[in-house]
Amino acid sequence: MTFHAPHIDYAGLSPVIALTAGICAVLVGGVFSARRQRLVVSVLSLTTVAVAAGLCIWQWGEREDLVAGALRLDELGLAGALIAILAAAVVIPLSWREPAAERPGSEPRHGEFQALLLSSVLGMVLLAQAQNLVVLFVSLELLSVPLYVLCGSAVRRTQSLESGLKYLIVGSLGSATLLYGLAFIYGGSGSTDFTTIRDAVGSGLTDDPLVLIGIALAATGLAFKISIAPFHQWTPDVYEGAPTPVTAFMAVATKAAAFCVFVRFFEVALGPAVDNWQPALAVLAAVSIVVGNIGALGQSSLKRLLGYSGVAQAGYMLVGIVCASALGVNALVFYLAAYTLMNLAAFAVIVVRERESGYGDGIKAFEGLGRDRPDLAWPLTIAMLALAGLPATAGFMGKLYLIEAAVDADYTWLGVAIAIGTMISLAYYLRVVAAVWMRPAAEPLAPEGAGMPAMAGGSPEADPLPSLAAATAAPRPGTRCLAILVPAWLMAGATIFFGVLPSPLVDWASHAGGALTPFLA
Amino acid sequence: MLHSYLPVIVFAGLGVIVGGTLAMVNGLIGPRRPSRAKDDPYECGLPSEVTRTFRFGISFYMIAMLFILFDIEVVFLYPVGVILRAAHSVFVLVEVIVFVVLLMVALIYVWRRGALDWR
Repeated sequence: MTFHAPHIDYAGLSPVIALTAGICAVLVGGVFSARRQRLVVSVLSLTTVAVAAGLCIWQWGEREDLVAGALRLDELGLAGALIAILAAAVVIPLSWREPAAERPGSEPRHGEFQALLLSSVLGMVLLAQAQNLVVLFVSLELLSVPLYVLCGSAVRRTQSLESGLKYLIVGSLGSATLLYGLAFIYGGSGSTDFTTIRDAVGSGLTDDPLVLIGIALAATGLAFKISIAPFHQWTPDVYEGAPTPVTAFMAVATKAAAFCVFVRFFEVALGPAVDNWQPALAVLAAVSIVVGNIGALGQSSLKRLLGYSGVAQAGYMLVGIVCASALGVNALVFYLAAYTLMNLAAFAVIVVRERESGYGDGIKAFEGLGRDRPDLAWPLTIAMLALAGLPATAGFMGKLYLIEAAVDADYTWLGVAIAIGTMISLAYYLRVVAAVWMRPAAEPLAPEGAGMPAMAGGSPEADPLPSLAAATAAPRPGTRCLAILVPAWLMAGATIFFGVLPSPLVDWASHAGGALTPFLA
Repeated sequence: MLHSYLPVIVFAGLGVIVGGTLAMVNGLIGPRRPSRAKDDPYECGLPSEVTRTFRFGISFYMIAMLFILFDIEVVFLYPVGVILRAAHSVFVLVEVIVFVVLLMVALIYVWRRGALDWR
């Protein structure tokens, strides 16, 4: 027996390799740079995402199977990877003064924070390219596990720990459901490879009970991850409790990667069974639109509001999958990109206001922002109007595109559902805009430093915080921080730019849809 | 057909001989300083019966957890043994080195963070 080294396309794998090397560098850089840790680590991780993004752009247009068919290099996967990388590139500066990474009285933890963030990005890049059941599951876990830790990383805030624990438990339930479904599909079709499953399902397995149970369980598992109602209950709690930069990352990047694999799995592997899953997903999309939009109406915390709005937006995006057409995939990818831009702009403003006003992320913290801080009020306003889908924003173009795809695929009623959902959503998005521009500023609260809870599970006297009083009494840091304002303005500017001139983004998204054309009607 | 069971018998025999010899040698030349914790039926470094107020050293669990992590990681090196004939391949060598370097990064992190200091 002679051994032949397998053929490996290192160019195709280069984004993954770059991210892996970057994670190692950030982790080691974090422990070897005691005093300048924040700077060293941020430079290392920004370099990593820049290199990874460059390599993704370099590989744009290539279409081939990687690692014995485990990964598929095409524009859809690269689009998901680029969105995840963009989210990380914005979140790294947002966490510049993140209290979760920088606790008074203990060593800074920027190395860990950003290494976990990059590990999650690595999982997303792999997930968006996965075309094998095993790779799908492993990369989904690689995406999730760092996020569980990041959600609970502000260990002195009980809400953060609660958020981490809830996400861990619900996320594990979702993963287990998905894994069970994948096992049924493997059992029914006899393969873990997407294209082989497609052939097997296409040759008379469309009504096979094993495959049907598998489809139902897999859809449920993925719906947990992208917070589709009725599997969304964790979303508002986890979004509210997690450190805000983490919430921002989780909201956009997880959705992008999970939607990419959702499309690939359902439209490539399960494409022949489209008549079985299409109506079910259509109902899920409609339920999400209703539940998300109505749930958001009563929220007074902006992070919870964006959590419910994320449920509704996931419902809109699911319409793109329901269509099972190239147009639907194009619309989905366009909307994912637009959603990333507008959500990141909104979260960047929340990060600042959470630190400088005493009201946390409550809507009171944003009252009178238009007069006091127009530099923050404009990005937030643009983001809210774009999320609501007002014309001249990327959100409007995205919704238009989705409705067009729905009508084209004979799902006109879903298009109507999107329109009705958008109308309901105006009620809560405009409430934020009204608070920003039409209310006087709320009385500033005393900073809540004195009542800071001890680390959960520790006794207060065993855990003294010498510099805590000094840290909270000092003028709030990071309020005029360019590291946050620049990304906020860039994202808001891009939201407007692609709303007025959508054609570059439309072209970009249509490449992604084109990658699946051989499998679509 | 029966002779296909021969390896099993050899394996069982070797197990009895090696295990028995080691146990015997241990009893003959090993030091004997019995203590209550050592006489427990299950010895793990902690008393097997604990009371409500019992406090344990967290360091013990830290080391144990790290051991399990690295132990499981190293299991992934075993498949290389299956393709031992390929030992001449530069490809395999590089693969193993990459794997070990990743483990090294984790070890350096653990060491610098002080997780290996016994406190």
